[in-house]
Amino acid sequence: MEAILGPRGYLHSSEDLALYQYDGGIDAALPDLVTFPQSTEEVVALVKLAAEFGMPIVGRGAGTGLSGGGVARAGGVIVSFARMNRILEIDLDNECAVVQPGVVNLDISLAVEADGYFYAPDPSSQKACTIGGNVSENAGGPHTLAYGVTTNHVLGMECVLPDGTVFETGGRSFDTAEGYDLTGLLVGSEGTMVLVTKVIVRLMRKPELVKTMLAIYDRPEDAGATVAEITARAITPVAVEMMDGVLLRMVEEAYHAGYPMDAAAVLLIELEGIREAVEEQVEQIREACMHSRAREVRVARNQAERELLWKGRKNAFGAVGRFAPSSLVQDGVVPRTKIAPALDFILDVARRYDLTISNIFHAGDGNLHPLILFDPRKPGETEKVKRAGDEILQYCIQVGGSITGEHGVGMEKNEMMAHLYSSDSLDAIAGFKKLFDPRCHLNPGKVLPTGHGCLEIRQLPSDLRY
Amino acid sequence: MIRPETPQQLAEALRMLAGEHRSIRMGGNFTKDRLGGPTTAAAETLTTAGLRRLLQYEPQDLTVSVEAGMPFAELQRTLAEKGQMLPLDPFTGPGWESATVGGVLGANLSGPRRRLYGTARDMVIGMTFATLEGKLVQTGGMVVKNVAGLDMGKLMIGSFGTLAAITSVNFKVFPVPLFSRTFVMEFPTVSKAFSERDRILKGQLPPAAIDVVNDSRGCRLLVRATGNQQVVDRFSADLAQARSSEGEEESAVWHEVREFTPRFLAANPEGGVAMIRTPLASMGAEMERLKVPCIARAGSGVIYAHYAADPPPTQVHDESGMMKKIKLMFDPENLMNRGRLHGYV
Ligand SMILES: Cc1cc2nc3c(=O)[nH]c(=O)nc-3n(C[C@H](O)[C@H](O)[C@H](O)COP(=O)(O)OP(=O)(O)OC[C@H]3O[C@@H](n4cnc5c(N)ncnc54)[C@H](O)[C@@H]3O)c2cc1C
Ligand SMILES: Cc1cc2nc3c(=O)[nH]c(=O)nc-3n(C[C@H](O)[C@H](O)[C@H](O)COP(=O)(O)OP(=O)(O)OC[C@H]3O[C@@H](n4cnc5c(N)ncnc54)[C@H](O)[C@@H]3O)c2cc1C
Repeated sequence: MEAILGPRGYLHSSEDLALYQYDGGIDAALPDLVTFPQSTEEVVALVKLAAEFGMPIVGRGAGTGLSGGGVARAGGVIVSFARMNRILEIDLDNECAVVQPGVVNLDISLAVEADGYFYAPDPSSQKACTIGGNVSENAGGPHTLAYGVTTNHVLGMECVLPDGTVFETGGRSFDTAEGYDLTGLLVGSEGTMVLVTKVIVRLMRKPELVKTMLAIYDRPEDAGATVAEITARAITPVAVEMMDGVLLRMVEEAYHAGYPMDAAAVLLIELEGIREAVEEQVEQIREACMHSRAREVRVARNQAERELLWKGRKNAFGAVGRFAPSSLVQDGVVPRTKIAPALDFILDVARRYDLTISNIFHAGDGNLHPLILFDPRKPGETEKVKRAGDEILQYCIQVGGSITGEHGVGMEKNEMMAHLYSSDSLDAIAGFKKLFDPRCHLNPGKVLPTGHGCLEIRQLPSDLRY
Repeated sequence: MIRPETPQQLAEALRMLAGEHRSIRMGGNFTKDRLGGPTTAAAETLTTAGLRRLLQYEPQDLTVSVEAGMPFAELQRTLAEKGQMLPLDPFTGPGWESATVGGVLGANLSGPRRRLYGTARDMVIGMTFATLEGKLVQTGGMVVKNVAGLDMGKLMIGSFGTLAAITSVNFKVFPVPLFSRTFVMEFPTVSKAFSERDRILKGQLPPAAIDVVNDSRGCRLLVRATGNQQVVDRFSADLAQARSSEGEEESAVWHEVREFTPRFLAANPEGGVAMIRTPLASMGAEMERLKVPCIARAGSGVIYAHYAADPPPTQVHDESGMMKKIKLMFDPENLMNRGRLHGYV
């Protein structure tokens, strides 16, 4: 290892390894080694060495993932991309940038802001999370509503297979190359098929005008109804975020963003584009909100007010941390007309399990983030929280939705996959996994449920189902 | 010709044919045989045109689910009744009316508005396909945001039916914009047209479509603006020199663009179209080099070059061999659409 990475290129003491047993979720497992390659060549050498010793390989960005994706479930080598964090090229004429996987999401937008461009996917963790992590999870964010998720903004990649083969997909052209869309297949593969060592991302022109609005409600179902009303009126905001009263009060106490403490729910709505279009839509949105019984609709008057409104939203998870030792954030999706009944269901779960659940939704696209507050030191509490979370996901499946909109399946929801997809569909995913990673070295024990994945091979060599 | 009526029948037909090691020509209405390379002789022909139900349409959710054999034009009509659309714009005029949703995806067709809306890969939210093992595999779902499992649908788009048969597709759809206006400018040279394109793309007004057409009639830049009245008026002020059109006159402008390829191919039975992908900044030079009639999606890095005879062969780049491995996983005996995907698989 030292020959490949140098003496400072890896960590192996137990105190150091303990720092890498978690990501942003609640699952944990200790790796055997944490490595910090600085180039694709070093990644290749590492991967080959790990393969030789039959050790699992787990890629890692900033460790902000919320589904245990970056946790070394079966031990092995964590490959951190923290030192591959350079923006290699900004190519405005071709509306793209070439970056290493360890580049922090927000840094791309900051680098091109002065020229009037931005990188569209904006996870709330964008000050910390990396492009490598985003690509692997197919991350979204508040502005996904208008711009789509990561897969819609990745033009090409450099990947390393677990046997050390390096290959490229896509390129600087906006069109997928002739042949099969490997970029499309690999974005969202959660580090189970390749390690990503370079990414070509698309850049977009910054909009001329941005307007941020806050609609305040006395009843949460009215906020839910507004989302459907906005779609029905063919208005196209770029973000529609919803926070319920429980969360509002925690956020307001922590950040003083100016949210009303007594509201039952608020919608944070953003419009952007050409000045005339935005101005007209502000009025249309106001009407849609009032039609759905909003108590009040405010429009941020300047950049400072806008930033304050968003500060509360983007730091919401942090605010919750002040009120409970731990929390589980779920990531279910429902059709956007089902926001109101979903919220009802979640409140019912909270009552039945006697848990505090606060809600923050990417409401515009039906992506729910119920935050279940709990104290993991209480015996049985973590199990109870997981059961409550699973029940919410079952509901999402029942109404035609999904178990994850942006955080990925990881090791948190892999068993739930068997409820969402048929056995044939899971086998098809397993087939791809096996094609790219025949010996099951990359991030074992993720995404696929027991019986379809390949972790069990390590424990039960006789199980040759796959 | 085998014409299954349900996804289960389709899957069963594929399983049986594969079991008998028989080669298969699979498609919708086979209108695009001259795209993507011809299928070499096959023992059996199988069409998905019998699968044509509308499975679910939720205008309030902006989602729709249809079977793969539904004619694309029929889907577009269904959406239009609710003021919605799927802005892929494949040509569905005379001779192509029966083009199916599955065929449009199999050939990854798109149109001028891809600058604003993207291509099929950006609009498909879920899919079911039948494999040669007789399995029905589902990927994605009916919600606009979903990262559960691999996005296998992306592989089917543009695969020319070489992997599996799509049985149904779920799309996110879009509201039809209230106003639309198109601007046409003529230029003495291709490079001047691209200078104007550069000015527009670096400006504040994002066009829905921006095409450069270069043929015997000269070089033209076509810009489409959509949005509310004031927005299209801003475009008018910015593009004051251009000839502008709305309504039927505007439709005629784009109809001509969409009809260009089919008409060219009808007139040139030996002809073919090469799709050239290039970064935005190299498009002008590339188009100047090409001495044949061209249509460029000038904001998306795609040039369609029209050869009256002997079109250059299209190369599939697969240095890692992963594409071939994927093909063999789905179709180990290379039975499906042999010769398609430019003879690569
Ligand atoms: C406060 C907070 C808010 C969040 N908000 C959002 C949000 O709005 N939207 C959203 O989508 N997510 C959100 N997340 C989740 C998380 O930030 C994203 O999933 C993010 O993409 C993870 O990036 P990371 O660099 O931290 O990756 P990690 O957590 O380190 O890793 C994530 C996964 O990617 C793999 N991986 C990382 N780098 C590579 C690589 N180079 N090659 C191969 N595999 C790799 C890992 O193995 C793992 O499976 C939030 C998280 C927090 C803590
Ligand atoms: C050379 C050429 C260039 C063209 N360029 C354009 C253009 O740039 N833009 C444009 O809008 N139109 C273009 N057209 C027109 C366009 O091809 C037709 O209008 C149309 O959409 C035909 O649909 P179909 O159902 O008959 O397809 P088919 O010809 O039956 O199928 C097309 C491909 O998709 C596969 N396929 C079909 N159904 C399925 C399924 N269910 N599952 C998996 N795969 C499937 C087939 O195997 C085949 O490989 C072009 C046509 C030609 C000949």
